[in-house]
Amino acid sequence: MRWQDVIDILINSYILFRFYVLFRGTNVLRVLVAIGFLWFFQRISTSLGLVVTSWAIQGITAFAALIIIVVFRNEIRSVLQAKNLKNIVWGLPITSVSAPVSIISDSAFDLARSHTGGLLVFPGKEDLGEMVHSGIQWNGKVSKEMLMSIFWRDNPVHDGAAIISGDRVSEVGAILPLSHRNDLPSYYGTRHRAAAGLAEATDALVIVVSEERGNVALAKGQRITVVKNREELSEELENHLGIVSRQNAFLRRRIFELGTAAAVSLLFIGGVWFSFTRGLDTLVSLDIPVEYMNRDQNLEIIDTTINAVRLNLSGSGTLIKSIKPDQVRVRIDLGKAVIGHNTFSITQENISLPPGVLLKKVDPPNLDVTMDSPVKKELPVQVDWVGKMPENLLLVNARLDPERIQIVGGSKLLENIVTIYTEKVSLENVTKSGKITVKPVLNPASIMIAQGSKERITVELEVRSLVPNVK
Amino acid sequence: MFHWIIGFLFIVASALSSITNFAPESLEAAEGTGRELTLSEAAMGEGIREGALQNQAIAFSVSLGRVICYSAFDPVPQRTFIYHNWYYRDRLSTKTRLVLMPPRWNTYSYIQLREADKGPWRVEITTEDGRLLRVLRFSITD
Repeated sequence: MRWQDVIDILINSYILFRFYVLFRGTNVLRVLVAIGFLWFFQRISTSLGLVVTSWAIQGITAFAALIIIVVFRNEIRSVLQAKNLKNIVWGLPITSVSAPVSIISDSAFDLARSHTGGLLVFPGKEDLGEMVHSGIQWNGKVSKEMLMSIFWRDNPVHDGAAIISGDRVSEVGAILPLSHRNDLPSYYGTRHRAAAGLAEATDALVIVVSEERGNVALAKGQRITVVKNREELSEELENHLGIVSRQNAFLRRRIFELGTAAAVSLLFIGGVWFSFTRGLDTLVSLDIPVEYMNRDQNLEIIDTTINAVRLNLSGSGTLIKSIKPDQVRVRIDLGKAVIGHNTFSITQENISLPPGVLLKKVDPPNLDVTMDSPVKKELPVQVDWVGKMPENLLLVNARLDPERIQIVGGSKLLENIVTIYTEKVSLENVTKSGKITVKPVLNPASIMIAQGSKERITVELEVRSLVPNVK
Repeated sequence: MFHWIIGFLFIVASALSSITNFAPESLEAAEGTGRELTLSEAAMGEGIREGALQNQAIAFSVSLGRVICYSAFDPVPQRTFIYHNWYYRDRLSTKTRLVLMPPRWNTYSYIQLREADKGPWRVEITTEDGRLLRVLRFSITD
């Protein structure tokens, strides 16, 4: 295992772990687990040859990402909106902000003493977005005065519920769902039914202060109990919020939970990594064109012994099948190349491969590159005639315009070139004097016609009748 | 009468060399030694008849069997040699040394043609010291 593999596994394990931290307690995680199981069953059904089953599960899992985004858009939005970047990337929910329990308890009993109705909601792990409506964003720090003023009779939002998250009142005037239970006492008004309705549907704890009877009640789950004093209310709140007396136990439980999540993430990503990289070993041969870099601007590549190298690669079948052509590159550094022949060994350093793919063999292992400095040279042009002249005709002369053209190419290369021949020109159709246009053939391909020099040659032909009986 | 003399001299020259032929146009002495050797005419042809090049051309069928490089010098200040260098696709194929006699001299060389000789050719006519006098370009075709 390479150090890159370790980093690879750690990064992805951390991403998975963060995903758990951010979405823990929501239905998203449960659905993701369900999709994981679906994928597992799909693999099983495929291996068992259950055609329709595997096809159906495959279809569902293919749409899973879309389903998650559509169905859980609220949860995703609340996570992304409620948390800043630091919390998304780094923060752990171990040190949650404690609600000011004593202030809340005092406020509740003060409201009760003054026969002022109140409805305080303390969300649990579940999201209340679907249950609570029409709330007005408040986001003010909890204080006794603030709570008293929210539920003051003349306050427009005093009939709604105040939602308390941590040490802040996040919303006021929120409308809660009413309970439809028949076993509630008849003297329970709308406020109590709203408290019961939310407590039944979610894991939230609701404090309800009765305006008429001047008492404080707690709604949690299916039960509504009247709280006798502040201490009892404080204890209930601490139990619900998991603070103070159970702080250590809570911390231990939370650390264990997160540690387990981290370990599972690591194991899962490690398993995925091994399944990717340590699957059935597969060999593949690829012909990869050679790329040259850092060439001296004054030098040109005149010739190379090869244009592509054959690489024998190995790796797991999954990785080998997913190789794209642009992921494998062979690069030769011409920074130290000189005029003439240069031999390069093609080693691992010259080859870039996708992670997890290993190089087995390079064929050929060496590469010769001929470098030269480009020069201009004026060369005569000669027509390359082929075929046979029609009977009794002679091609007496051919005047070329231009007679010479300027060529650019490597100095060593041009040393050996003294004539530029044209493309092959057939004599079959030459029946009379006239003009034709032909193209010069540049061989090798690395030479070029210099700028300003004509690229086509005009040939003025002179054709005469043949004198017979020559000996 | 003049052509008869040239024809006779060609026969003598052929006897001296199978590939080299020389033909003095006149046996008169060169007019002084200050004059420079000058190539007055050069061409490729199918043959020589009565001292003259026949069927001058730049493309020759391989079926002809041979191709002639004809060169005429006027004046020839002194006895000297020239070369006919035959190149097939820029590769020297044959180098023929030909003698020139004052005051004027016509001479030629030739190559026998084979199937493998098809393609572009050139003949470089040079002096003994390598000075290039003329380049004749031609092709051997079907």
